[in-house]
Amino acid sequence: MASKMFDNIRWLIPSSKKTLPCGEESEIVVSSRIRVARNLSSIPFEVKMKAADAEYLIGLVKSIIDDRLAGEFLNLKDMKPLEKESLLECHLVSPGFIRKDKPASVFIKEGGNVSVMVNEEDHLRYQGISCGLNLVNLSSAVFEVEEMIGNNVDYAFNDDYGYLTSCPTNIGTGMRASVFMHLPGLVFTNEVEKVLKGALQIGMAVRGIYGEGSEIRGSLFQISNQHTIGFREEDLLERTTKLAKMIIDIEKKARDVILTKARNEFEDKIFRSLAILRSARTISSGEVLNLLSAVRFGIGVGIVKEITLATLNEILVVSRPANIQLFFGELLEEQERDIKRAEYIRQKLGVN
Amino acid sequence: MLCDDCKKKPASISFKEVLPDKTIELNLCDECASKRGLLVTRKLSPVEILQKLLRQRSEQDEKVICPRCYLSLAEFKRIGRFGCSDCLTTFTSHIQHLIKQIHQSDRHIGRKAAPGTKQGLEVYRLREELKKALESESYEDAAKIRDQLREYGIKDV
Repeated sequence: MASKMFDNIRWLIPSSKKTLPCGEESEIVVSSRIRVARNLSSIPFEVKMKAADAEYLIGLVKSIIDDRLAGEFLNLKDMKPLEKESLLECHLVSPGFIRKDKPASVFIKEGGNVSVMVNEEDHLRYQGISCGLNLVNLSSAVFEVEEMIGNNVDYAFNDDYGYLTSCPTNIGTGMRASVFMHLPGLVFTNEVEKVLKGALQIGMAVRGIYGEGSEIRGSLFQISNQHTIGFREEDLLERTTKLAKMIIDIEKKARDVILTKARNEFEDKIFRSLAILRSARTISSGEVLNLLSAVRFGIGVGIVKEITLATLNEILVVSRPANIQLFFGELLEEQERDIKRAEYIRQKLGVN
Repeated sequence: MLCDDCKKKPASISFKEVLPDKTIELNLCDECASKRGLLVTRKLSPVEILQKLLRQRSEQDEKVICPRCYLSLAEFKRIGRFGCSDCLTTFTSHIQHLIKQIHQSDRHIGRKAAPGTKQGLEVYRLREELKKALESESYEDAAKIRDQLREYGIKDV
């Protein structure tokens, strides 16, 4: 029974079927993401929505998509807890989405780069994710779906305020572009706070991995635009990309400094981390995150040559708690999970 | 530890700058840190600005009500969410400043919604009607609806 349990989303794990090629600077930029919020004027917004309205919207969106796009359309109420967690770990749904008690659905377009949440905080939340710095290509992929559905429905739009959203903080373009970066150089040289405060000054937000308020782990940071109105979409993409590139430059300089000053120590840290990943018999996802951070740094500065970033990115996603269970196709207790995770990583890194 | 600059007040912040030839470490009090331009006061995020603005309430708020979804301005201020696409217009005079303060702009210059053929809404309505017609075995009606759907280019009905 186990292997057939999660067939409807198992194809996402590992994420080998991605249709969008990886973007630039992928040794520092882990992923680029875009979210676009849309509502219909013919239906009440989330807070005033009845279950019947929610069902109607799901049916409508499904019928539009079914005729035109290949992918998986999943109803929240039919999803197992593990599947919800896994989609969250793959960043295809939001934490708010999996907690909804009204009818809600998600469509995942073939390839796993673009998803559409129906009945999250807004009627429609289009999302895109790609590796590397790739906001412009990603936005084309997201807006292609946004337009296709938009041609068939009545988006709530106002000439002055643009696209209307549930929350005033998303009004206008409804777009949030984010870049997810690995910044061990800045962490080590204590420059991270300075850079991040600078980002806030120019209207950009900085967060941990899973959105607001979460702790920053494995030297991973996310930058995104805070303002959604008063800019054209391409300006928001450009500003976010520009800030990402600025931070990349500072990070690269910090890495040079580290390597000139403390090469031996860092080589040691990198190879010890790699050795643990290659030999551990049981390992937690938190530890993996930190070890991968060191190895990613090693690949970025050319110290580690035999492992590709693609392999590393895959381990990063698959070793998350829900994904690892999906990968093996069975429900696992925490202890078993740690053992299986270690097994998977050894195999991925070519050790038996 | 005393501040490295004034040597009077206790240091509250430490800075470390790693340069190729040396590492500079400074322990400063708030005042001296801001003199050196090192203390950046954090700006409020849009969510924080919104929360702050929504706390400005008036007795009139209960009386301003969206005619379509019946959300009152008071309720909007409690939950920070609009109830439908008409709320913004209803509340405009009360919340104009809000959008501007959150985003430093209240003018959308981005993409414009395509007029939207609304074909999807119509096709969906017809499909639901077709389902009902078939369930109640009204085959004549079903055939008519099917023809209408075909006009929209939907073949698999």
